[in-house]
Order: sequence, then structure tokens, then C-alpha cells
Amino acid sequence: MKIIVGIMKPDSGNIEVLGKDVVQDPTGVKGIVGFVPESPRLYEFLSGIEYLDFVADVHGLDPATKQERIVDFLKALDLEGRENDLIHGYSQGMKQKLAIIAGLLHRPQILVMDEPLNSLDPRTARIVKDLIHKLRDDGVPTIFSTHVLEIADAICDRVVIMDNGRIVEEGGTSELKAKAGSPGSTLEEVFLKLTGSSDTREIVEALSR
Amino acid sequence: MSFRKAYKLAIVLTKSQLRGYQRRRLIARLFGDPRIILVADALMFAVPALLAYVLLSGILPVEIRNALREIETQSLAGIPTAIAFMLILFGILSEISQPVQSSSTDLINWLPISPREYVGGSTISLSYTYSFMLAFMLGVTLGPAVVFNMFPVWVVAALMSLLSLFIGACVVELLRALTNRISSSFYKKSGRSGIFVRLLLTIVVLVFFQLLFSGNIIVYLLQGLMQTVRAAWFVPIVWPSLAVLGGSQGDILALSTFGLLTFGFLIALFGLAVGARAVFWVPVPVSIRLTNQTYHPSAGTKRFLGLGVAESAIFRKDIRSLTRRREMARLLAIPFVLAISIAVSLYPISGTSVPEGPGFYALIPVYVMPVAIFCAIMSMTSIGQEGNAVWNLYVAPIKPRQLVRVKLVIPILLGFAFSLAMLVFLGFVLRIALADFLLLLILSVAVVLAESAIGLYFAAKFADFRDVIRSRFVSAWGSLFGTFISLLLVGLTASPIFVSIAVRGSVADEYVVLSFAIGLTVFLVSWKLAERQMTKLFSEIRV
Repeated sequence: MKIIVGIMKPDSGNIEVLGKDVVQDPTGVKGIVGFVPESPRLYEFLSGIEYLDFVADVHGLDPATKQERIVDFLKALDLEGRENDLIHGYSQGMKQKLAIIAGLLHRPQILVMDEPLNSLDPRTARIVKDLIHKLRDDGVPTIFSTHVLEIADAICDRVVIMDNGRIVEEGGTSELKAKAGSPGSTLEEVFLKLTGSSDTREIVEALSR
Repeated sequence: MSFRKAYKLAIVLTKSQLRGYQRRRLIARLFGDPRIILVADALMFAVPALLAYVLLSGILPVEIRNALREIETQSLAGIPTAIAFMLILFGILSEISQPVQSSSTDLINWLPISPREYVGGSTISLSYTYSFMLAFMLGVTLGPAVVFNMFPVWVVAALMSLLSLFIGACVVELLRALTNRISSSFYKKSGRSGIFVRLLLTIVVLVFFQLLFSGNIIVYLLQGLMQTVRAAWFVPIVWPSLAVLGGSQGDILALSTFGLLTFGFLIALFGLAVGARAVFWVPVPVSIRLTNQTYHPSAGTKRFLGLGVAESAIFRKDIRSLTRRREMARLLAIPFVLAISIAVSLYPISGTSVPEGPGFYALIPVYVMPVAIFCAIMSMTSIGQEGNAVWNLYVAPIKPRQLVRVKLVIPILLGFAFSLAMLVFLGFVLRIALADFLLLLILSVAVVLAESAIGLYFAAKFADFRDVIRSRFVSAWGSLFGTFISLLLVGLTASPIFVSIAVRGSVADEYVVLSFAIGLTVFLVSWKLAERQMTKLFSEIRV
């Protein structure tokens, strides 16, 4: 993910994002990608609105568009009324919401999110899920990582299961379930079966002793 | 109160103090262990003790020994008060320079630790961390005490100093709890103005303590302290010193009274600190509202100083960082400290006639060096101060050369402001001639440009993004190397002027032009180097 957004160099090979090479044209790629990191470290000495204003300016949004989008996002993600507070006083969930808005503000052509639903309240989590679907319908794909496989099951069209940095399996959710030989099971069960870590009973028993 | 819990907490707090700085594995292992303080204490105690003993046993002349004998009692009596004072000072400075991130992730707040256990652990940790100062003072005075048959007085001084060490730590704990609540309530009500007041107060405190540590003032204070210590018997902080004085004169009543009073004061202070922690501590970071106005993006603020929209946004962010972060206040305090120090050192000159010729030439380095130091520090810290939030810049569609341009603007602007203020001071107070004024102006422009650019090169090459207590924003090696090169380049820039003074006895115009040309060349070359280094930083991102 960090390679896609241009903050880590590939050891070998190359990645092109919508025709732009991430190593040759990192600035161009950053202009069309929206990124939400796992634990966003924001500028805590800025207020929420100042932070979003900063991100919008860095992406070159004009004042009218900037205002419209920021106000809409703040309202949608329930940050209205707290936007003038310093980020230092925000909860983790509020910081996560701010990072999500910052990733979406410039209308990216591709969205990269690392555990985006962390710390979010159920309402906001639902909004983000629906937004991901809406963006997909509008032609904006989202790549996101999660350890909560119910989320992947509910959101993703295509899933890549990784174990120890290597791809174990990939495909649509029903395709993966079929490959694992258990079409009626959950994605979590498929994951455990594919990664060879399905027998968790002993661990649970040991922990409950 | 669980003493075991307090002790465990003290170890953790000491480790967090020690490990805030180190990076390399070997150094981290060596200096990250709390036992290193014991080793430091032993060395700080034994070496001066032995040295003083050997010197006083025969090497030093009798006159000096007699003089030392006279001040030994004063020194022993001064240690307890001095150690309490120093601990409070270091405690305050540590609080000021603590970054926001480390104070907001306070594990202690949700662990089952009572205020008494916390204050106990923290007091022990603080006292232990700064015990090397006490070890040194006791070491220095032990030799003379043995030679002059004052060992029993030294023992009393050691005991009283130990109590004073804890008294100082308790005062710091008390201040921490009180300022935590006061600042929380204050910021909640005052918002933006509260942040500004905090910045001003921090600068005032830093300048005050910095000046306090200048040699003359310390000597003056110590002399004053010992003259007034008896008169100030009602001030608890001097009770330990009065106990030592009583001991030195064989006054058992004074010794026991002030000794017991000191012990009682420590217990009372500990109780107060525990009470303050229980009542006033606000564990959750307070929410500060800057304004209640509706958001209206201002189009007028962009594209100023020739910067683009994105660069202007970074510029505004950096200015806010400088004025709102506690740990940045010490950078803003630099020009005030330097200016006041210079004003103090120039005082005799101002009392005489208008400085001309040799008198004026001596002023050139006095004026140029602070400007250079300020610009170099501001510039060298400009990248590392992004901290862990640097990913915001990495993922933004901005080019390294854009970042270099905007990061250059702040040190240059502040450097010009500082040098102009200094020039106005010199112009009015010392009434320097117009030609000399212009010479300094031209030289300062060259120095500000050169130092800002070379500082930025080191900022990008040795950036330190760790959010730790007293973060330097640039690695230790980078800081040393950068300072050395910066000073070298100031010398290079100003060298034609000094050559002219040496050869012709005055500053010729062509030498001033040459000096400016050198400064400009250093600026342009360093700018290019900084761009190259920034590109490298962006391609070898450490996240």
C-alpha cells in the first residue's frame, strides 16, 4: 500500500497507477490517489478545519470547491461543531474521520485505505462502507486492508488473502469460498483454512484455564 | 500505598526519561539502563572528591587553602537550597519541552495506580534522574571537608541535600498537577489567545532561566543567598541550609529544629502533591476551540511571497507549528536569549562614546554570530519538526524542490526580522555611523541567506522525526556537524571584511561586495544541495 501511494520504494518491479509510474512520477500519482493510513498521525497543533484546508490547498482545490466539500464531509461524518477544536483534543475515532475526509477531499481516482474502519462508530462505519460502494459505481476503485473479515465480506468485490507477506489466494468472495471447498462458510473460516490456522480450540482452552 | 508499585513506576519513568534520546542500539543499551545513573553518580562524586583532596593536601598554596576554608561552610550550607532550586528548574524545563504526543499517551491514567503511588514513583524517578548534580556537589565539597576537619558538617549537608532533592521533586509534582488543571481550564475558555499567552510565558520562563545560568548572575545569587539565608528563616526552602549552618557552628538546637522542620516540610509537600494530583489532574487532553466562526476559505492568503498555493499552505502550517507547539517555543526564545546576552555584554560599550574603528569592528562578530546561529537552528530543525505527521507531506502531490523553497522562507524571514531588530538596537543605543549600519545590513543579508540554506541541507540529511521528550528534530551527529559547517561558512562569508580590516585598517567597499558575493554563492550552492538531499529523503522514506 505504501508503495502504491509512493511512500515506500519497491525492492524490485514497478507499479503503475492509472498509467503513472509511482517511482518515475510520484507527485502525479499522489495527485490522483487518496490515502488513509492505519494510525493517522495528524498535525495536532492545527484545528480540524485548518488541517482539511491545508490538505485541500496542497491538492490545489479552489476556495469554493474547498469550502463546499469540507463542509459537506464534516456534516456527513458528524464532525460539525468540533471543526474549530485543535486536533490534539480529538478522540481516535474523530482523527480517523478527519483522515478519511482528507483522503477523499480531492476526489481521488483511486482510494487506498489501511484498516479504514478502525475506531469508527457504527453510523460512520456504515457511511464509509456505502461511500466505498458508491465510489466503485462511479468508477473509483478502493483498495483496503482489514483483519476483520466480516468487513471484507460485506464490502469487497475482490479479496486477496495474504499470509506472512505472500498472496495465498485471490478472487471474489464466493469464488474463494468455493476454492476452499466450503461454499456456505464465512470468509473468516476460509481464511483460517487457507492459511492453515483453523484449529484454534486448543488456544482458546489454554486461555480460558 | 504500595511501595512496590511506586518503585516499579519509578523504574519505568526513569527509563522513559533515559530512552527518550537514544537511537543507536549500543548507546541505547548502555544508556537506557537506569543503573547508568548510579555509575554517573559514582564518577561525579569520586573524581572531584579525590581531585579536591589531592589538591588541598599539599599542591595548592596556603593562601588559596585558607580562602577555601572560609567558603567551605557557605558551600556546604548552600548545597541543599541549590539542589532543590536546580531540580525545580530542570523539572519545569522538561515539562515545557515535552511534545504533545508523549503527554497525551499517558498509560498511567488508566492503570490502577493511586495518586500517592504515582507521586511517590515520580518523585523517586525525578530525584534519581538528577542525582548526578547532588553527587557532584557533594564530591566537590567532600575533599575540603576532610582536609579542614569538617566531615561531620558534610554529613549533615549530605542528609539535608538528599531531603532537598526530594523537596524539589515534590514541588515539580505539585506544579505539574496545578499547571495541568489551570492550563486545561484556561485553554478551554481562552482558545487562540490562551495558546499565544502560553507561548509568551514559555519564552519568558526560558529566557529567565537561561540568563539565570550565566556565570555572573549565579555568583551574585549565591552571595546574596548566603547573606540573606539567616534573615529568611521563615522560608521553608532555606531550612535545610539553616540546619547545616547550625551544624557547622555546633548549635545542636538549630540543627535539630531546622532538620526536623525540613523533614516535616518534605512530608507536607508530598501530601500536597498527592492531594493536587488527586484533585487537579486532568488525564484527557483538553479540547481547545480556536474560534466559533463559520469556515470561509480565504483566497487572499494564498500565493504570497512568490509561493504557490500548496507552498503557502505549508508555510501557514509551519507558522502555526512554531507558535502553537510547546516544544517549538524554545526555538523562538533563542533570539531573545541571544539579544539580551549581547545587550548585557555590550553594556560597558554603550556607557562610553560612539564605537568607531576598532571598537566597531569588535562588534561585527558579536552581531553576526547570533544572527547566524538563529538562522541555522531554525533551518536545521525545520524538517524533523514534522515528526510522525511527516507522512502528510510524503503523500501530498508536492515536489521536494517546492518543500525546500517553503522551508527556506521561514528562517530567512525570521532571520531578517531578528537581524533588523539587532541593527535598530545597535543603531539607536550605540549610535553607530550610517556607513557601519549599511555594512552590517549587507553582511546580515548574506549571512541569513547562507545559513538558512546550509541549515536546510543538514535538516534534510539528518532529519530526526521521533516525537520524544526534548526532541532535537535533527540527529546528534547532524546537529554537531551542521553547526560546525555553519560556523565555518559564516567565517568564510565575513572573511573579506576581516581581511580588509587587517590589511587596510578599514572596511573597503569592494570587500563588502566580495563578502556579499560569497554569502550569495554559499546560499545558491546550499539551496541546490538541499534540493538534492530533499529528493533523496523523499525517495528513501522511513515510515
